[in-house]
Amino acid sequence: MRLPTAILAASVFISHPVLAVEAGQAAPSIAAPRLGEAQPLVAIADLRGQVVYVDFWASWCVPCRISMPALDALYRKHRDRGFVVVGVNKDVEAADAQRFLTRVPVSFPLLGDSADRVARAFEVKAMPSGYLIDRGGTVRQVHRGFTAQTAASLEEEVERLLKESR
Amino acid sequence: MTRALAAISIVALLGACAPVAPYQRGYLARPDMALEASAGTAKALEKTYGSKEAASGSATVGGGGCGCN
Repeated sequence: MRLPTAILAASVFISHPVLAVEAGQAAPSIAAPRLGEAQPLVAIADLRGQVVYVDFWASWCVPCRISMPALDALYRKHRDRGFVVVGVNKDVEAADAQRFLTRVPVSFPLLGDSADRVARAFEVKAMPSGYLIDRGGTVRQVHRGFTAQTAASLEEEVERLLKESR
Repeated sequence: MTRALAAISIVALLGACAPVAPYQRGYLARPDMALEASAGTAKALEKTYGSKEAASGSATVGGGGCGCN
């Protein structure tokens, strides 16, 4: 192989080193502060033992207008049984996120991710993206995008995972 | 040697083009990233152009650069 070709070929691999988190893999061990705060960090691994849905959302994400109320309803319904939704915000301006939340208020915990560390750890491929993690810390389902169908299947999946013991 | 240097510099310049990850589209959704400064003015100009040129409907769907799905 000639040198320029080799350099071009190498650059293709260098620019895409991270693979997306898929169902069956362990959830990335990552921590982030609550939205609008700097400290303390909330670690996703600390939620082990519960069924966790990590949802990446933003005010500019149109389907999030559907997903956020749906996830809030699901959280309110199942939180007493050990289900928690963690909303990771991807807004550039904190004010945009707050404006969205006044229109679409949610009760589940929200994390800030201004340095993209959480999004990079999950290698988010679409907005919104949701990762359903079982009580043992394994990603069991990945939802990219959100429709009424997603809400229905998520409800079933959460129900099934809540019945599983650790 | 010169060709190798040229190839290296081209590749180095290509590295300056950063892909925007799906979760970074908040940057594209900023008002100053819109293709048109004012959606209303753009629509009016488009309508005038369409009628003057007898090319109504020639423009595609309005908008762009909002960064949403």
